[in-house]
Amino acid sequence: MSEPDNPKTAQHLKAACKERYARQILLPQIGSKGQQALGKSSVLIAGAGGLGSISSLYLAAAGVGHIIIADHDHVEESNLNRQLLHSETSLGIEKVKSAANRLQELNSSIKITPVQKKLNAKNIDLLVKKIDIIVDACDNYKTRQILNRASIRHDIPFIFGGVQGFNGMVSCFIPGRTPCFECIVKPPKNKIDKGIIGAVAGITASIQTMETIKLLLNIGSRADRLENRLLKISGLDMKIKSISLEPDPDCRVCKHINCK
Amino acid sequence: MKIELNGLGETIPENISIDALIDLFKEGDPDLIVEVNGKYIFPKNYKKTTIIENDTIEFINPNLGG
Repeated sequence: MSEPDNPKTAQHLKAACKERYARQILLPQIGSKGQQALGKSSVLIAGAGGLGSISSLYLAAAGVGHIIIADHDHVEESNLNRQLLHSETSLGIEKVKSAANRLQELNSSIKITPVQKKLNAKNIDLLVKKIDIIVDACDNYKTRQILNRASIRHDIPFIFGGVQGFNGMVSCFIPGRTPCFECIVKPPKNKIDKGIIGAVAGITASIQTMETIKLLLNIGSRADRLENRLLKISGLDMKIKSISLEPDPDCRVCKHINCK
Repeated sequence: MKIELNGLGETIPENISIDALIDLFKEGDPDLIVEVNGKYIFPKNYKKTTIIENDTIEFINPNLGG
């Protein structure tokens, strides 16, 4: 957790910023010091679709200093029911360009780096080099594997989020402290259904964002965060359930890391 | 014996494994995640994990869209 506020730290936050972030600086868990820490943080958002739209908006609004947003796609009309970063005027343009424009409109004081690339095993290491957290906003297993392995190699938390239909899932995978993504989710044999209600992406990505901010500022205990837990959101019967997880001792991806 | 499966009370044979439970309820999703009493069960343990009376079980279809 961020240390208690003190007047000296508060003076260092510019007056305009203090006003902008006033409602979160009021929180004892954040304060001026936490706000400064957010300003110095870097996050990779892997995907500028349904999940990435919401997590990037909230992280930008919260004042995370550097957001790298990666996606190789262009904005299509069928995206607009849930991908609130984009609008009718962005149809046909690169999602990351549309994202960067919108995020910079929302908060011009932070740095946005759009990356118009499909993430792969070759380019991921460079992208995660100086970041604090990877936020999962992708729509396929393969990219999540790439992110998971980069998270382990670089010792960076990986905030998993997935959505489908009316349902969503979230968990924080932290190297050495929790199972990894591949301990828990095995390569799917079925194709991912594309049907989705936009609001479930909003709920799921909002929870991912909350966990990201908690981790960036070390707010709460491990038990308070989604470490070693998978949150399952069922929109149809409106139930949210937490499932306890443990590392797979036979996981070939993370078994070399001793869980602390 | 009685268990709760996906929020509903069910009566099933005794000494049944998760593998057999999946067959019994014709759960066809090969990507299924199984949770017993709030705890994730690794697929490799489905055969050796026996369900007992009053267990609460959820079959969860993973969500991997974004």
